[in-house]
Amino acid sequence: MAEGAMAGTAGRAEAAARTPRRIVLLGNPNVGKSVLFNALTGLRATVSNYPGTTVEVYRGRLNGTGAEVVDSPGLNSLLPLSEDEQVTSDLVRSVRGEEGAVVVQVADAKNLRRALLITLQLGQLEVPTVLVLNMHDEAEARGIRLDLVGLEATLGIPVRTTVATRGLGLEGVTAALAAARPPRNHLPLPEEVAGPALALLTGRDAPPAAPPAFLARYHESLLAHADAIARRHATDGRTRGAHLSRRLGRLAIHPVWGWPILAAVLWALYEFVGVFGAGTLVDLVEEGIFHGYLNPWATALFSHVPWTFARDLVVGEYGLLTMGLSYGLAIVLPIVATFFTAFALLEDSGYLPRLAVMTDRVFRLMGLNGKAVLPMVLGLGCDTMATLTTRILPTRKERVLATLLLALGVPCSAQLGVILAMLAAVPFSAAAIWFAAVAGIMITVGWLAARVLPGERGDFVIELPPMRLPALSNVLSKTAARVEWYLKEALPLFLVGTLVLFVLDRLKLLDAITRAGEPIVTGVLGLPAEASAAFLIGFLRRDFAATRLFDMSRGGGLDVVQLVVAMVTITIFIPCIANVFMIAKERGWKTAGAMAAFIFPLAFAMGGLVRVVMLTLGFGGTP
Amino acid sequence: MTTLPLPEAPAVAAVTCPLCCFEYVPGGDSCREHGCPIALGGCATRHCPRCGYTMPDEERSAAARLVRRLFRPRPRHAVETLADLPAGAFGVVESIGGDPALQARLTGQGLAPGVALHVVQRAPTCVIEVSETTIALERRVARAIRLEQP
Repeated sequence: MAEGAMAGTAGRAEAAARTPRRIVLLGNPNVGKSVLFNALTGLRATVSNYPGTTVEVYRGRLNGTGAEVVDSPGLNSLLPLSEDEQVTSDLVRSVRGEEGAVVVQVADAKNLRRALLITLQLGQLEVPTVLVLNMHDEAEARGIRLDLVGLEATLGIPVRTTVATRGLGLEGVTAALAAARPPRNHLPLPEEVAGPALALLTGRDAPPAAPPAFLARYHESLLAHADAIARRHATDGRTRGAHLSRRLGRLAIHPVWGWPILAAVLWALYEFVGVFGAGTLVDLVEEGIFHGYLNPWATALFSHVPWTFARDLVVGEYGLLTMGLSYGLAIVLPIVATFFTAFALLEDSGYLPRLAVMTDRVFRLMGLNGKAVLPMVLGLGCDTMATLTTRILPTRKERVLATLLLALGVPCSAQLGVILAMLAAVPFSAAAIWFAAVAGIMITVGWLAARVLPGERGDFVIELPPMRLPALSNVLSKTAARVEWYLKEALPLFLVGTLVLFVLDRLKLLDAITRAGEPIVTGVLGLPAEASAAFLIGFLRRDFAATRLFDMSRGGGLDVVQLVVAMVTITIFIPCIANVFMIAKERGWKTAGAMAAFIFPLAFAMGGLVRVVMLTLGFGGTP
Repeated sequence: MTTLPLPEAPAVAAVTCPLCCFEYVPGGDSCREHGCPIALGGCATRHCPRCGYTMPDEERSAAARLVRRLFRPRPRHAVETLADLPAGAFGVVESIGGDPALQARLTGQGLAPGVALHVVQRAPTCVIEVSETTIALERRVARAIRLEQP
């Protein structure tokens, strides 16, 4: 019946002959686009950053035909206002001029109005389109009746319904691809709006630095048309009942119940990453695989190598295998993998925007708003990755502030895991001092910097998606992509770090450095002189340094005060050399240099301060 | 929500004794006439001339004034913007102000003149529902959304 609506349209034969070679998926956020993408391509997607941006674009091959499918970031309008929208805009424009390329717009069947805003824009751009109304089951359950034939006739494009999570309606989408055509464009838009908007849409005008006032008028007139079409072809649904997901979604931002839920989420995160990842898994991989098999085997193997130099390079005290790879794969990998799994779960469940709602006030203290919680939490995974994410913050001031706070006090998962393991060895009060010192310095510096830096805080507006049970395949594919990114980033630096230590050791420079660092490391921080080497390597990666300190403490080399002082100092350190490069890339070398010059002395000063406080409180002496 | 000046308490306001229901004007010269030594230094109690029941004078207590201010009935503002709408209420958007970027973003999310919205909660952040969309926005933004007068 849906086919029938298309039969009369002219040029159908021509359309059918055009089997698409490239399909761009686009749509509003949270309409099930990635689930549909996975269902259409069968989980063989590759993730890549869109050239020159941080925006992740998934590519895959359509089941059966081998046509390329591109999944774009969710968006509300094709007007390029943000980086995400710019990417999708570019993708759509590339489809425009390309033979055999079509757009598949995925929409929430329950929210036709918002989807049609984009469909109408696609019509203005004259891009061949298929409209897919996903989550059709939910719309039916809500009593929304869709007149597909009428909708096809009004829009002039194939409209299909799917339930992507259950794989329903996929053949219909694939079959409709050949019939894709530009949505009918007969909008009587106000004259002063239509021209400039189209110029922006088609990319004839470069996106403006500050959005001009006509954009809102443009959206309003599109919405008015979308509203009229939606009212003609879809009946109103019943008001939403109190589903579990809806109730949970409301509880998560409740002024009272939101806090216990937040605490429970943090506790679960700690149990999964800190206890399971950093404890159980690390033991398993380190003791079981590295100490049990790999290191002895390699030592045995290299004992036949006559050159001590080569032997030590691989399996010596600062060996690439025994130190570099062990630290990287045995200690860091399990922690990073568990953290990113947990983060993907949070992301896909729809909890993160609710976390932003709950923490808005705290971040406002620091001149930011609730949105900043997203890079901050991601920073608990990898600060470098999170530095990129600061682009979601609307103003320059907020980006600089968030970048500074990330570099200053948010420990990345590798480091956090090591710190949690070290904290397990000290009394709770000592652990609390570590937390108070780091949180205190972050809030103080944030508060001060917010007053010193010029500029404004952006408005806090965030859409709250419905709470959903995350799909395992999506969680795993995201985790895999992030872990891969992390390893590519971290492992080479771990090896370089080990190599630097090895070379310094060979040249007998390590002792000299240890002696040179003594006034600060022993004098101010009260740590054993060998800790100098850890801090030196902390310039490369602070988690590497933390791991080294962890190693020292396991040998019983540090007492409680020394442990806490070492942890505070290394937490405040700049995360890693890659982070410095990333800050420089995002904010310029001047900012990066200023941050480094500010943070390193501050780290040592804070460590010294914590030592004095702890000794005064009488922590000294107790092992 | 702006603080209105507290109505100046009239110098002579009659009170009712909570024990014997006698109506009297506190203060005055009766205490001094009775020869009470505290009255000379400005006493902060009131004292029923009939039964002798004594209690601190609420008019002279800063704490009591604060408590009463908390319970003072709020002046009913006309609902002009989203920020004035209580939790659970419905409203219809008249216009969206604020800077153009914000306007473009909100209209892109389906919030436009003539659209009905529902306030889910107001704290810690204002959360509204617009048909199938749930949006959290801070007070500053809520004030920029003007509502149609019922």
